[in-house]
Amino acid sequence: MGKKREIQSDALVVRDLKKGDAKAMEEIVRRYSNKVYNLAYHLTRDSAAAEEIMQDVFLTVIAKIATLTNEAYFSTWLYRVTTNAAYGFLRKEKKFSEQTPVEDLDGEHHASVDWSELPDDVLLSEESREVLKRSIDSLPEAMRTVVIMKDMEGLKNEEIAEALGISVPAVKSRLHRGRLMLRDQLSDYFSKYTKPSGEDA
Amino acid sequence: MNCKICSALFQEFLEKSLCEELISEVDSHLKKCGQCRSSMHTYSLTIVLSSRADPPCCVPAEKMDELKKILMERFCTKKTA
Ligand SMILES: [Zn+2]
Repeated sequence: MGKKREIQSDALVVRDLKKGDAKAMEEIVRRYSNKVYNLAYHLTRDSAAAEEIMQDVFLTVIAKIATLTNEAYFSTWLYRVTTNAAYGFLRKEKKFSEQTPVEDLDGEHHASVDWSELPDDVLLSEESREVLKRSIDSLPEAMRTVVIMKDMEGLKNEEIAEALGISVPAVKSRLHRGRLMLRDQLSDYFSKYTKPSGEDA
Repeated sequence: MNCKICSALFQEFLEKSLCEELISEVDSHLKKCGQCRSSMHTYSLTIVLSSRADPPCCVPAEKMDELKKILMERFCTKKTA
């Protein structure tokens, strides 16, 4: 079975799934369980919640697959279900912060220090990763979700837009502002490793 | 091209979704503007570091087995329902 399924598009597998093919269900789980789990984990930072969400998401797939009219949109539909379930969890845990994004971060925005030449052991240290994780977690929700989906999970702008029900330009602008905020936090953190240069700007 | 426009285009520049004309304008601005150059470097490094901050992991094996069992049960009862 493996070989043939490997080259099948999601749309074909989903069509089989709609017909009640158990092998198609297995294939969907094989393709998407880790993706759903990781997205849920990064959004909730809770591995037990991520397991529960993953299970609910696939149960939703079984229950609602017939309502998905365009099979080609399966993955974005799946990501939307996952994101909504993660938000549901965060809301229940009162960890969901619906802050309004700061609007004035666009435009000219220079890094205060250039830390890009720092050695890898500083850039990739345990501590710097913790700083970055904390910074991502404290981003305004709209930006946090997009940064996680794009920069941590590697989803495409179009997939994120579909999953969140926003436009591609909105995805890009949230992403850009989120990255600038993270960059600022990293600049603060790395400034202790960069020597102030006497050069003119 | 000024610094404001240049930094607003970082994202598209790095995703290689700019037209050739804009690419060369950004390129030539970066050549003469050290601030935008640093800014671009730290911006792109922020993206790289985010991707490595918390690398993806696999669903624990026991959970995976449990999931498959639950799904198959539900799947079969749905089919016969
Ligand atoms: Zn400049």
